Amino acid sequence: MSQRVSKEELRQRAAAWLEAGKMVAGPVRVKAGTVLYAPLPKAESLLLEGWVRPANSIKEFVFPRHEVLYSYRVDAAGITLQEPEPAPREQVIVGAHPCDAAALPLLDKLFNWDYPDDFYNRRRAATAVVTLACAAHDEECFCTSVGLGPAAERGSDVMLSDAGDGAYEVRCLTEKGAALWGAGVAPAPAEGGMGAAGPEPRFNPAEVAAFVREHFEDPFWRERALPCLGCGACAYTCPACHCFDIVDEGNARGGVRARNWDACQFPLFTAHASGHNPRPAQGARQRQRIYHKFLMFPGKFGEVLCTGCGNCARNCPAGLGVLPVVSEICHAESV
Amino acid sequence: MQNPYKPDLMEVIEVRQHTVDVKSVRLRFKDAGRAREFGFRVGQFGIFSAFGSGESTFNICSSSTWHDHIEFCFRKVGRVTGALWEAGEGDTLGFRGPYGNGYPMEEWRGRDLIFLGGGIAMPPIRCAIWYALENRAEYGAITVVYGARTVGDLVYRDELEQWAGHPGVRVIQCVDPGGETPEWKGEIGFVPTVFERAQAPAANAVALVIGPPVMIKNTIPVLERMGAKLSDVYTSLENRMKCGIGKCGRCNAGPVYVCKEGPVFTFEALRTMPMDY
Repeated sequence: MSQRVSKEELRQRAAAWLEAGKMVAGPVRVKAGTVLYAPLPKAESLLLEGWVRPANSIKEFVFPRHEVLYSYRVDAAGITLQEPEPAPREQVIVGAHPCDAAALPLLDKLFNWDYPDDFYNRRRAATAVVTLACAAHDEECFCTSVGLGPAAERGSDVMLSDAGDGAYEVRCLTEKGAALWGAGVAPAPAEGGMGAAGPEPRFNPAEVAAFVREHFEDPFWRERALPCLGCGACAYTCPACHCFDIVDEGNARGGVRARNWDACQFPLFTAHASGHNPRPAQGARQRQRIYHKFLMFPGKFGEVLCTGCGNCARNCPAGLGVLPVVSEICHAESV
Repeated sequence: MQNPYKPDLMEVIEVRQHTVDVKSVRLRFKDAGRAREFGFRVGQFGIFSAFGSGESTFNICSSSTWHDHIEFCFRKVGRVTGALWEAGEGDTLGFRGPYGNGYPMEEWRGRDLIFLGGGIAMPPIRCAIWYALENRAEYGAITVVYGARTVGDLVYRDELEQWAGHPGVRVIQCVDPGGETPEWKGEIGFVPTVFERAQAPAANAVALVIGPPVMIKNTIPVLERMGAKLSDVYTSLENRMKCGIGKCGRCNAGPVYVCKEGPVFTFEALRTMPMDY
């Protein structure tokens, strides 16, 4: 049984979630020309059309860019450590893209192998993702090259897809989604899936993995990285990049130990105290980003660490990003 | 909630200054219950911290057979080590760990042991030397070659003398040419050449080689010439780390998390990995 919801009804639901005290985030036009996933101050802020992809990703709602791990206080009695704030409040991300939602199961694996990371897990448990299947794509989109598509369901709790009459067809994919929506879990769609046609597949991830394995030392990386400014925008706007730094912020009396997003494109990322740097040049850092996503992560966790959102290319000031670099690899391979 | 990033509080019970910029610090768990349950393998590492300055990764350079304290050794080079440098007896530091794989000391039983170290790489070798000495009957001949740029850069010099006093243990100290003093009685030369001159038995030996990349690069061919197999030659990688638990992505070397699959690798294993360390 499929349900329908109009855009107005969807905003009413968002208003009800806000009313119930949940944090509700979705695409918001923060200024002319810039759409970001952000907490909705009110349901009317939810932007449902007129954009292809927000410039950031939803990962920041489960893996904040800055997160306190604990605080410390120093007084006459010595040092005391205090756990961070209690469990985060319930949150709903509405209007997520399939390429954002699909990154969550990847992050689930990373944050739970061997040592469970409860900072991530408790936010994840408190988060429901209402995904909006894509009606449009641009030339940076390549979800279909990494096994996903405009209506891919991975990581979503509720899937909304354009029903063609200004309304969305609603399918609850998980118990969490069903509980949020107040409906039953719907079966998989008929063969062929839903939503618009996605971008043409542009490359084969297995070819990329083979290239980085066999061309670890190759002038390709140096040449390709020449325009790279090392700004890290690719990693910060990626739904799946998860590298972080741990730093102290405080003084001798008290403060916090926190983790902050980091990026493999920064020279200091791997610099040793001795001065030795295993990745001394930008080419090695560009290679690492591709290597991690297409060879290292699949080797460890069985999946490519890329959902084809294209944010790295869209946000790169130098025309790089996964698709531009990888297209060249696959082009070179087939020549 | 389990917080894997929250450290144990440790009391500084002893600080030793080895060189103008190297100190070692002995720590004891403030929580007696934690102290009783704590155990580790030599070769594992910890993440040590000075509150307000941050965390740094060091080998636990005490032997796992000592139960009343752990020790780490560091060179003062930056913000965190600058703060650790200021720590004195009675002060509180943070410790997370133990992390990583450690040395397979059980597998090394019955073998001769060769320890080759350069400069600040002595601490991660020291823990294995003490472990072997405390289980002396399990191991054959022990050869230690330790070199530094100058006499003033050698660390744990008093212990080098102690080790040399054990039966079946040969300790050779060396300094780079020009780094000697008029009183210097050790060898003058680089670790690989001094080691080759020493003609230690290598055919049945396991070797642990830790030091600057150039020392390692030149030592491996010498070991091979002397009959050691690369599967018996170990090192400990020093990739920069933050979390220590396979999350933060910093220590990746090709296909591995050095913090999880390492930091201890054989050169046979390293040969299959890309140069990302």
